[in-house]
Amino acid sequence: MDEVVVLRLSNQLPELDRLAEAVEAFGERHGFPRKTVYQLRLVLDELLTNVISYGFSDNKDHEIEVEIRLAGSQLQFRIEDDAAPFDPLRVDSPDLTTTVEDRAIGGLGIHLVRKLMDSVRYERRDDKNRLFLEKTIS
Amino acid sequence: MELVEKNTGDVTILVLNGRLDSNTSKILEDKVMDILRQGCKKVLMDFQDVDYINSTGLRVLLLALQQLKKNQGRLFLCCIKDYMKEVFEISGYTEIFPIFISQDDAVKGFA
Repeated sequence: MDEVVVLRLSNQLPELDRLAEAVEAFGERHGFPRKTVYQLRLVLDELLTNVISYGFSDNKDHEIEVEIRLAGSQLQFRIEDDAAPFDPLRVDSPDLTTTVEDRAIGGLGIHLVRKLMDSVRYERRDDKNRLFLEKTIS
Repeated sequence: MELVEKNTGDVTILVLNGRLDSNTSKILEDKVMDILRQGCKKVLMDFQDVDYINSTGLRVLLLALQQLKKNQGRLFLCCIKDYMKEVFEISGYTEIFPIFISQDDAVKGFA
């Protein structure tokens, strides 16, 4: 069963609860494994937390659109916002081979997104950030 | 998130419950700083009832480990749910944290 869900969130962190509920419900409807549901929720949490926390400097309300689409076994996310230009693919991955003492505290969120999804594509168009992510559900 | 502190011998056990995310991780961070001030050197975090963790929560774990190491302390983790283990692996945490399947095993691990 294919399905498309579109959520429009305002740029407030509590909105992430609504997003989490939507992902959990989507996964449940399609019988995704628990691990997959958790990882998908995590990916959206990391990306949206970044946009909401760091993307806007004008103290105004902004809308962020999140589309969750399942086509066969292909799960796709589209995230669209009018935040400052930000390409998460340009963020360096953290060095996970250093000693504990030297291990950097940041950069983990984007690293997780890239590792947990099969593909991530970014474009800036019409003054908007657009992020397309895909993962095959097994 | 809820957090219960208990002690077994000289091991401080933090039993965590709920979500460890951007809203709740500060609670754990404050608690960690608190027990560090008390001079605890053997700390165990029990994840039995943790059903969600994101990078903010993971950062607090690393921060706690770094602070403990500075004071010759150790931090063990136990009872992480199966579906969350891959995220700990991808984060490189299975390399730097001793992770046990039960609280008993972890407490014995400090000996």
